[in-house]
Amino acid sequence: MNRQRYLVFVLALLVLLIVAMLISLGVGSVHLTPAQVLAALSPEAHGAVGATERTIIWSLRLPRLLLAAIIGAGLAAAGAAFQGLFRNPLADPYVVGASGGAALGATLAITAGLRVTGAGLGPVPLAAFVGALAAVAIVYTIAQVGGMASAITLLLAGAALSTVLSALVTLVMSVQNRDLHEVFAWILGGLSGRSWPHLAAVWLYITGGSLILWLFSRPLDALSMGEETAQTLGLPLSQARGVIVAGATITTAACVAAGGTIGFIGLIAPHVARLFVGANHARLIPVSALLGALLLILADDAARTMMAPLEIPVGVMTALFGGPFFLYLLKTRQRELGGWR
Amino acid sequence: MTTVECSRRLHDLQRDSIANSAAAHDNDCEATLEGQHITCSYNGHAVVQDLCLAVRRREVLGLIGPNGAGKTTVLRAMARLLRPTHGTVLLDGRSMWQMSSRRVAQHLALAPQADPGALPLTVEQAVVLGRAPHRGWFLPLAAKDRLAVERALARTGLLPLRDRPVSQLSGGEQRRVVLARALAQEPDILLLDEPTAYLDLKYQTETLELVRNLAHKDGLTVVITLHDLNQAALCADRLALLADGRLLGVGTPATVLVPDLLAEAYRVPVTVANHPIYNTPMVVPLFSRV
Repeated sequence: MNRQRYLVFVLALLVLLIVAMLISLGVGSVHLTPAQVLAALSPEAHGAVGATERTIIWSLRLPRLLLAAIIGAGLAAAGAAFQGLFRNPLADPYVVGASGGAALGATLAITAGLRVTGAGLGPVPLAAFVGALAAVAIVYTIAQVGGMASAITLLLAGAALSTVLSALVTLVMSVQNRDLHEVFAWILGGLSGRSWPHLAAVWLYITGGSLILWLFSRPLDALSMGEETAQTLGLPLSQARGVIVAGATITTAACVAAGGTIGFIGLIAPHVARLFVGANHARLIPVSALLGALLLILADDAARTMMAPLEIPVGVMTALFGGPFFLYLLKTRQRELGGWR
Repeated sequence: MTTVECSRRLHDLQRDSIANSAAAHDNDCEATLEGQHITCSYNGHAVVQDLCLAVRRREVLGLIGPNGAGKTTVLRAMARLLRPTHGTVLLDGRSMWQMSSRRVAQHLALAPQADPGALPLTVEQAVVLGRAPHRGWFLPLAAKDRLAVERALARTGLLPLRDRPVSQLSGGEQRRVVLARALAQEPDILLLDEPTAYLDLKYQTETLELVRNLAHKDGLTVVITLHDLNQAALCADRLALLADGRLLGVGTPATVLVPDLLAEAYRVPVTVANHPIYNTPMVVPLFSRV
């Protein structure tokens, strides 16, 4: 794909995203056409829509939609970076322990009825955010011990700590079964009831973290050729790895704080993006982010409407639709997806 | 081996090689890359022991020896990938461990044997990475960098394949991508680990010819590990024969490829004939029983 075709592709994806957003804003218990949505969005009052519609759009659907978009984008960018860093197609944003840490933090906050707030986050999101950062910090520290720090030790330490953390979550849940439903809903991930404060608290971390990852595209390209090759090209390995892990972790922790541990987006969006634009991270990361945003918006539409008025956790939807879609890609585009050696 | 012994032995070997070398480069004995008493260990087990090896400017130095002799280890130590437990490697007279890896990469490129490029970058995107030591990790390429990439692609015959994902290429084509990336680095010193492995006869020959041209026409210094002794004899100006992590001999192919030394290194009897056209040594192994 040459530069011009790439730019056209990105533009097309952006248009698609905007169309999906306009349609999504109209979907729900009160149905609005895209024209009504546009009217409701326009700053001055409009005859076509009433005050109720404006309120629904502005205080309920728009913040939730934007949050879905930014979380989807952040998870996809982090997933793309971790897949490149670990040279592993199974890597996702949670691979070094962020989800386990976040889940334990949130579970403890819910069951203990924590009231601490900070950084614009409520008690549970704050605990999840801190838990995710702490878990990755522990994994990273363990992987450094003995001077044998490599992507593989990081990956293994992440897997081991994740197991321990999820065991602890189960332990807390089995001892303390009063708030089970809330803990479950949080772990599955959902955007129900999220609004402007959530968005305001996390957008900076997610965009900032993702931009760091994008900036580190060339180091990621080099690392995806193998650590030794990256080293002979003069890349300061541990520093580069540290920055990439930090960028991806800040992004992921903020996503998880706002939306719970939404699965699958961070795994499949990069794979789909790679089918279109190849493995070059300078292109892969932005396209993954756009696709991730699109996918999570669509998944949240389904989560809101499929069994209305009941809301399904969006993490269930991403897995329910993302899984079969991914299997379909594996079956039909095996050659491209299997470009990993 | 003490320091004195080591350097004396090295000195002897070099004197021999110069005396015997018909192709010795006129007064070009200045070392650009020099392993000084390097010992390399994995898990406490020394794979290379107290090895002294000086590479001269603009020569092709072939590293030969049986499997497990330490050829790749020496190359990795010289590429600043593996830190010797004792001794050091000098790049233009300075210990390369006192230089940043980027600084080293501006002068020295390694084309490793197995390049596990896991993700399907295109050929061009993979070769562009060779510019990182010069351009850095964040800026877009400048015209000078583009030119270096084009030249590297052209020299390795990869221009028609530039937009293909590396993962879809044949093993031989992938070897050429690794070489092209190293050339895009525009190094003074090129370290090649088995560049002819997995290549068919045509590409083996082309690669070896390219290596010779890089040294003798473009003025690069090349260190190359090779398994095929006859290729080594044709391609290298000097050979270093390794066995069990020690240097058995250094010198022109004619001085190193002799039955006694080879039998000691490879533990198989050989006879050495003359190449019918180039008059270089041709090594033929002898079966113990026919």
